[in-house]
Amino acid sequence: MYPFLHHPTLSILPEGCVFLGCSSTLVVADVHLGKSAAFRARGLPVPEGDTERDLQRLAKLVRNYDVNHLVIAGDLFHAQAGITGGLKTALERFLDELEITVTLVIGNHDSKISSLPTRLKCVPHMVLEDVRIVHDPAHTHGGQLHISGHWHPVVKIPDGKRTWLRLPCFLFRDNTLVLPAFGSFTGGAVLSPAADDRIFAALRDQMVEIPLALWSGS
Amino acid sequence: MPVSALLPFFQAKGWQPFDFQKQTWEAYLAGKSGLLHAPTGQGKTLAVYLGPLAESLAADRGCKVLWLTPLRALAADTLRALREPLASLAPHFEAEARTGDTPAALRARLRKKLPHTLVTTPESLSLMLTHADFAEKLGGLRCVIVDEWHELLGTKRGVQTELCLARLRAWFPNLRIWGLSATLGNLTEARQVLLGNAFSGSLEVSADTDKPLVIETLIPKEIDRFPWSGHIGTRLASQVADEIEKANVTLLFTNTRSQTEIWFQELLSIRPRWKGRIAMHHGSLDRAERDLAENGLRDGSLKCVVATSSLDLGVDFSPVDQVIQIGSPKGVARLLQRAGRSGHQPGSVSRIVGVPTHALELVEFAAARDAALARHIESRTPLKKPLDLLAQHLVTCAIGAPFEADAMRREIESSSAYAELTDIEWRWTLGFISNGGDALASYPNYHKARLENGLYTVDDKRLIQQQRLSIGTISSDPAVSIRLANGRTLGTVEESFISRIRPGSSLIFAGRRLTLVRFNQRVATVKVAARTGKGQVAIWGGSKMPLSSELSHAIALRLKGYGLPVREMEAVEPILAIQKRWSRLPDDESLLVEHTTSREGEHLFFYPFAGRLVHEGLAALVAFRISREVGESILTTQNDYGFSLTAKRGLVLDEETLRFHLSAEHLLDDLVAWMNTAELARRQFREIARISGLILQTPPGQKDRSQREVQTSATLLYEVLERYDPENLLLAQSRREILEKQLELTRLTAVIHRLQSAPMHLVETGNLTPMAFPLWADRLSAMLPAGDAATRLEAMLRTLNQAATKGI
Repeated sequence: MYPFLHHPTLSILPEGCVFLGCSSTLVVADVHLGKSAAFRARGLPVPEGDTERDLQRLAKLVRNYDVNHLVIAGDLFHAQAGITGGLKTALERFLDELEITVTLVIGNHDSKISSLPTRLKCVPHMVLEDVRIVHDPAHTHGGQLHISGHWHPVVKIPDGKRTWLRLPCFLFRDNTLVLPAFGSFTGGAVLSPAADDRIFAALRDQMVEIPLALWSGS
Repeated sequence: MPVSALLPFFQAKGWQPFDFQKQTWEAYLAGKSGLLHAPTGQGKTLAVYLGPLAESLAADRGCKVLWLTPLRALAADTLRALREPLASLAPHFEAEARTGDTPAALRARLRKKLPHTLVTTPESLSLMLTHADFAEKLGGLRCVIVDEWHELLGTKRGVQTELCLARLRAWFPNLRIWGLSATLGNLTEARQVLLGNAFSGSLEVSADTDKPLVIETLIPKEIDRFPWSGHIGTRLASQVADEIEKANVTLLFTNTRSQTEIWFQELLSIRPRWKGRIAMHHGSLDRAERDLAENGLRDGSLKCVVATSSLDLGVDFSPVDQVIQIGSPKGVARLLQRAGRSGHQPGSVSRIVGVPTHALELVEFAAARDAALARHIESRTPLKKPLDLLAQHLVTCAIGAPFEADAMRREIESSSAYAELTDIEWRWTLGFISNGGDALASYPNYHKARLENGLYTVDDKRLIQQQRLSIGTISSDPAVSIRLANGRTLGTVEESFISRIRPGSSLIFAGRRLTLVRFNQRVATVKVAARTGKGQVAIWGGSKMPLSSELSHAIALRLKGYGLPVREMEAVEPILAIQKRWSRLPDDESLLVEHTTSREGEHLFFYPFAGRLVHEGLAALVAFRISREVGESILTTQNDYGFSLTAKRGLVLDEETLRFHLSAEHLLDDLVAWMNTAELARRQFREIARISGLILQTPPGQKDRSQREVQTSATLLYEVLERYDPENLLLAQSRREILEKQLELTRLTAVIHRLQSAPMHLVETGNLTPMAFPLWADRLSAMLPAGDAATRLEAMLRTLNQAATKGI
């Protein structure tokens, strides 16, 4: 766990999620369940592998950190075409086993799903331990710490003439902590540096801050 | 119809048919296919076209001739060249072009009825195969002519051509196919690849008329002040301007588009009165600008056009009487091709003047002339069974007409590229384009082509639309258009280039100094830069060609002292003398390795003479192996002659150690290990994902909201496939292609094997030798200790911390 300086009880975890200590809440963003199925439905040959495993990873985190409340900061689902019978069953089983409250802050992808599972508590945004959780960083306002998703931040670190490392990361910008995408079949948007940005990435199960000098390309 | 019917056309022009023309007509009329190799401007168009034209004079009005051209930019010129004999011999027949540039109205007309002669590109032909009635519309097709086949050979578009031809041969068993090619080292193989299983009985016709060719070199006045290597400059610009002055119309070739911009600016600043009389031509410029340059060459109104390989091909500009080549041509065929762009007036001479940009290029020009005169010309290696293209082609065929698997396999195998397709590859590809199949079990609910009554069928409208968009996207780096605020388009550049420039920074493009205002979607908005002065040319199009094996060999011979005395060698002698005194001259039969120490640590310089891509691979390989042993960061550089390694310690000049690090054992494993850490394979996957239909194409400027949910990057797909379907054959193809493209694997393997038994010369030098200096001066690229991303990130953080504590 990596204590986060801007909040007393908030930690960022190398698994790409946030833990709020007082309420034992785990926050993840951008799971995009059923994405590869949506591709296959359009005749694009992409293998299955994401949905089951992403749910298993999530369940394991809930157990390991003794989580009481799971919050998904948007985009739990990818597209209507990806919601197959198999996905519905897997999700039911997942919720049965967890036995905790799962809240979905509705993301732009979720809002296009015709009927979201009734067992999820769906909200447009929420506040927990003084932190406001939204999906899109555009929906934040000043004066309060925010957690968001949506951007799928990735940092690109040049490590040779034509080579670089590409790491999913947390981005802290304008009092908003943007989470990396949790889903395993989710792309990333490479960040362009802005003044005062701070970047955190996982290195061997530890969170480290990536100094600006390494990723700004200058 | 006899050949004699064609003679009046020649008599009216006051011409005499060449022997090769008569030979080609007769072979065609006797039912033969073949390959004609001829320099440009030798009447090759008439040679291949008049046979089919004569034959069809008395025939009905259907489409008789398909003319395939590699570049759609050439289609208009080709059409003009074909319409001339058509108008005089058969005015009742039409010729039209159908390419990506064809206006919708004409395209619609061509959908209804095809003309006697249709000029088109491989992509457009592939697209037409998706139309159910195409075979019927082609009805009486008798001949396909493939222009500039040497340009297509060895590329994916060449394979696409092979597949289209296989389809046409299956439809019309008596079809004759003729290729036109520049001279290649492997003409027989080129013909075999073009004709596939119709090779036997075909013919090679040569039009290699002995046209006089003069290759000269501008000798710098002060050789000792001239850079040894590496520095590209316009130092000889005023001498070049004098040469341009002397000739009527000059074509000045550079090797990269950025050099084109630099030389255009430089010539204007030396001769301001040439403003408006010289022009520029490169592949990124807007069509209108290119037309302006081409028309100026055609009517001789321009004094000089500065160009890249965008003018290597195409119809001839007869007023051009001089070609200047800036920098090494890097290959013999390229030098000949470019020289051939001059001297089209009857009885005149093709003349090319080489301009060295560093001293060792003097040797390159001398060697290129040796090889050109001895006709030691490069070969083009054909591509073998790329499965991405096969997948694309099978969907294309299924849209046009449902197919039966065995018959289709026979058709595919009639092409040279897929003659050795295995059962596994065939079944896998069929699964990939239909319902997954056995090999693709982890693809639930996936289907594209349906199997209906034993026939593979694609009839989903959306899939058909997707497929049509993805045909013709074989080239990869997406183009970004450069626009002024008023909306005027100046041209296009690669996305990878423009994304490196920050808003507010300047670049030179299309001969203008520009400032980047913003870049979003596929448009970069620029404004004319306020400041005058030289401005920095942002470098792009940096795909530098490696020195060819043939030219490397000719250079090695020159360095050994072979060949008649020439001015170039005389001029470069003082520098070679230093190299000999301090070390020795490298060659391609032994391996010279130099070792020296400096403030930075130890340096090793190797000179295998194998071209920069192979050297990049060798440098990476040796650095990877040494770093694995000693755990040090090793810096590498490479050029066309050799490569260097730099490290704090651990670089020893010991034959046994060096031979161990250069050994062929585990070559592929080590290269793949290095490549994976360097993420190279993922980048190559972009092209494969696009061609095979894994990535959807969006037409430029059009946002399709329904597509957004199924858009992803090739990098991510590569990761997903590696994780959940590691046996996917496209992954293997991607690794193979990247090794071949980035490191010339075939050549690299041959070089490694040659080095096994080659004698080694180890020299400890006090100074950097003339051969070593440019390698040392090149921007070093770090080879971090071998390892995964975490290891490398740790190393970088450590270095940064050390630098910070030292207060640097």
